[in-house]
Amino acid sequence: MTGAYTIGAICAPAAVVAVELTALRTGILRRGRFWATIAITLAFQVPVDGWLTKLSAPIVLYRPAAISGARWPWDIPVEDFGFAFAMITLTLALWERVRS
Amino acid sequence: MDGWQYLLVLASCVAVTLPLEIVAGARVYRRPKALLATVVPVLAVFACWDLVAVHQGEWWFSARYTLGLRIAGLPVEEWLFFLVVPVCALLTYEVLGRASR
Repeated sequence: MTGAYTIGAICAPAAVVAVELTALRTGILRRGRFWATIAITLAFQVPVDGWLTKLSAPIVLYRPAAISGARWPWDIPVEDFGFAFAMITLTLALWERVRS
Repeated sequence: MDGWQYLLVLASCVAVTLPLEIVAGARVYRRPKALLATVVPVLAVFACWDLVAVHQGEWWFSARYTLGLRIAGLPVEEWLFFLVVPVCALLTYEVLGRASR
């Protein structure tokens, strides 16, 4: 049901949000522009990640025990969206921090 | 050609987002210092996760659809992924910032 990747995909976004709120403190999470960027990049993740994870010819393969088994849309393990959210949020928060 | 698949996916991400810098006026590639200061920590954190996961066999990469060049057990394509995806997100964020100014 819940593999190591499932746990990581839940904890990583929470950890990045905690880093932003306590250490980076850019205020990015309160900005519409941040959430619009998240929406756009996660939307583009679907065709890209969909191609990488399609079960008919996968480029990335997952040990079944490591994931929940929920794959949507197409064959994308839902965990990938947690990974992507965490990575993009950290990227944008650091960018804001570096530029200010 | 199969071996080029992962690299071509990344190249298409770069190609699709490049006009955001060139045409739409995002300044991401043109701020190399800020870009490095952002991307290096992200790479460090998420490549570590990737390395541990691959080491523990949580996921792995097709030998057929990657070129076969590996650094520390990860395909070069996967290393590039950690540069390409953050840049795509930054270009999007910067274009949205320009639109709202």
